[in-house]
Amino acid sequence: MTQFTSAAVPAPLLGRWNYRSWAGAAAYIALYVLCDWLSYVQPVLKLGITPWNPQTGLTLIFLLTFGPQWLGCTAIASFLAELLVRNASPTSPLVLAASVWIALGFGGLAALLRHWHLDLPIRTPVAAAKLAGACVGATIVIAAGYVVLFVAAGVLPPENALRALPKLLIGDLTGVLTLTPLLVSTRPWGAALRILREHRWQLLGQLAVLVLSVWLIFGLPVTVQLRFFYLAFVPVIWISLRWGLPGGLLATLIIQVGLIIAVQDETPSPLIDLQFLMLTLSLTALLLGAAVTERADVLQRVAMREAEQRALLTMSPDGVLAIDASGMVRMANPAALELFGASNGLPTATSLHEWLPDLTLREPAGRATLHGRRVDGRNFTADIAWARLDPPANAGFMVTVRDATERLRLQEEARERDAGVARAMRFAVAGELASALAHELNQPITALVSYLRASDILAAPFGRENERLKTTLGKAAHEAMRASEVLRRLRDFYRSGTLKREPVHLPTLCGSVVVAFQDRLRRANTSLVTHMGGPLPMPHADAMQLEIVLHNLLANALDAVCHSTKPRRRIELHVGGNSEEVFLRIEDCGPGVTPELAAKLFEPFVTNKPDGMGLGLAISRSFVRAAGGELTFEPSERLGGACFRVRIPTRQPAELS
Amino acid sequence: MSAPTVFVVDDDAAVRDALSLLISLKGLRVSTFSCGEDFLAVYEHRWRGCLLTDLQMPGMSGLELQHQLTERGIALPVIVLTAHGDVATARTALKSGALDFLEKPVDDDVLVDVLENAIRVDEERHRAQAIELHVTQRLERLTSRERDVLLLLSEGLQHREIAARLAISPRTVEVYKARMMEKLQCRTLAEVLRVGAEARLRPSQ
Repeated sequence: MTQFTSAAVPAPLLGRWNYRSWAGAAAYIALYVLCDWLSYVQPVLKLGITPWNPQTGLTLIFLLTFGPQWLGCTAIASFLAELLVRNASPTSPLVLAASVWIALGFGGLAALLRHWHLDLPIRTPVAAAKLAGACVGATIVIAAGYVVLFVAAGVLPPENALRALPKLLIGDLTGVLTLTPLLVSTRPWGAALRILREHRWQLLGQLAVLVLSVWLIFGLPVTVQLRFFYLAFVPVIWISLRWGLPGGLLATLIIQVGLIIAVQDETPSPLIDLQFLMLTLSLTALLLGAAVTERADVLQRVAMREAEQRALLTMSPDGVLAIDASGMVRMANPAALELFGASNGLPTATSLHEWLPDLTLREPAGRATLHGRRVDGRNFTADIAWARLDPPANAGFMVTVRDATERLRLQEEARERDAGVARAMRFAVAGELASALAHELNQPITALVSYLRASDILAAPFGRENERLKTTLGKAAHEAMRASEVLRRLRDFYRSGTLKREPVHLPTLCGSVVVAFQDRLRRANTSLVTHMGGPLPMPHADAMQLEIVLHNLLANALDAVCHSTKPRRRIELHVGGNSEEVFLRIEDCGPGVTPELAAKLFEPFVTNKPDGMGLGLAISRSFVRAAGGELTFEPSERLGGACFRVRIPTRQPAELS
Repeated sequence: MSAPTVFVVDDDAAVRDALSLLISLKGLRVSTFSCGEDFLAVYEHRWRGCLLTDLQMPGMSGLELQHQLTERGIALPVIVLTAHGDVATARTALKSGALDFLEKPVDDDVLVDVLENAIRVDEERHRAQAIELHVTQRLERLTSRERDVLLLLSEGLQHREIAARLAISPRTVEVYKARMMEKLQCRTLAEVLRVGAEARLRPSQ
């Protein structure tokens, strides 16, 4: 509490001031004086002590909502109340000092509660206890200072100081604990009116019991009133249990108002007993109400979560099973029932073993692909994932089930296709190698044959040995020709029989190649933007060869962007066409191709990759040319890297003669 | 006019050397170039013979060289020699005006046959050109009357008919005919008719 007593007044004293704030402040001051006037019963020890002080609750709410910096208004309100209600002298320095002290005390309390970030309205017992604790501390300090001031001024004899203290502080405390949480937890008017309408008989009954109990207590002779005060607890507890914090506090307020009305003439004594009973009543309503409110909040959250889960389970395309500790299926969602063919709902006493015979739930979580058995006995392949329900321990498992038939079929298809592409690619590489080899070796063989024929002529003048020399040179030339023939046959083998012509549907082809690249693109953190526009006639070509071309070009682009330092790695694939041709454009944001390399980019064995054969582009160009088209390179202006264009005429090229 | 020469264009030095040796031993004049650009740079109009070019070369390819020759009106017969012989390239080469298409390595007898044939084609073309030039020169010497007589004669008209058509006397037709025959250096009517047929194909001057 040292922090509190030393709490400086938060500056500025008058904060954001506007018309509405001032109107609120004026209303607060008027209400304060009114409350004081209403609750003031009689002066006790010349201190203005009342059974409870509603104006203190009002003050705390005012300072919490407007800000502690408005405590000047509290001082004014308190001073005015002293003048108007208790006819104090306006020039009395004691009254002035007391007003300032009260204002400082409540300003400090408001600052402390703000500092704690106490959530208003109060909805949990913890928050209620915090509020109560802070208020107890603050009111003790305020009351102590108040008493000290009066003693110092000589108004209060020092021997009476200790007796006055509890009376003073309990009145303040009751006011704060009743009014503050009540006023900040009022529901919106609409909701309050709805509750009033819907539960009017219940509310009327509760109000009747409340009034009855007050009437009973204060209808009794003054001497026994306090003994029967406990009757007031019955309706307050009932209402708290039914309506939570706002209800309980409202009931307390009604009792306190009734009490003020009842004791106007004659106060039960001792007053401190009444005050304590009031305080206990307020605290009971506060804590019990907070507990009930919290419970209602929790129940609502749980209900919301359950509703969400139910909706999720109903919507889920995957089957979801809840398995209890003994391995029985406790719950199955609609997708699961459909998967296992249980169209009439979950059969009673279904063990998980009946549906998933191969599944053993030993690990806390896991995945598996195994056989599922439908109710009609048929099997299917299922992708399973499971997780143990941890709290409470060993409560069972949740299992999701997905029909894997389609996935496996697609996987198998993709595998077959990949194998086909790989085979075609190997064949193409071998063909390109053979062709390049034939070309490169044919040059020296040509020179060799020509030299040998020349030697034959040069050897003509030499006499007897001439015939043998001639034969030998002839044989040599023949062998060289044979070597060349072998190369030609090799080349022809790879060239023949590989060309198919069929209408190629480009979107399908591009789609399947792009899908095959998804994993690699993700790993390389690269985005591939595919754009298809315009009419797309179907060119006549070998689909497998075109797929290899696209595959090669995308692989090159991906390799290139991996060498890019740009933050956003990007490859673009444009597919378009008109009545005469279709075209594909593959652009990347990689480092591009040097002009020296670009000049011979499509020649075999030209590469800038350390482990590359340099055949990809050569093969791609031969494939595109085989379809009557052309593959060209240019630097990409838009992305800064390389741009490869494939053009293929849609007209079927004239048959080769 | 220079002697018929085989102009060899090939990027491979060994092939160039071997081919030029072989061709020269077969008794033909040879000149070699390592690329089409070099050949075009030094080409002179009086060159006779044929061009033997490789198809695949860095820089200007054989087909491009052929195309350039056509562009520049160079009528030298072209023989394409390739290490990459396939039907499609052969077709393209022949379509672009190549005289022949040979695959490496080439048999020397075939090569020489093809080259000699090409040189013959070149020579015949030049001879035809020369004759044509000669006729043109002679026709230019005729007056318009003499030319009219020549054209009508070659249409198969008699002297009298020509005289009627030109509104002159048959005697004058005889004079024009004699003078015209002298200028054309023709001794027989058959020769006159042949030149007349040529003349009909050209616009009159």
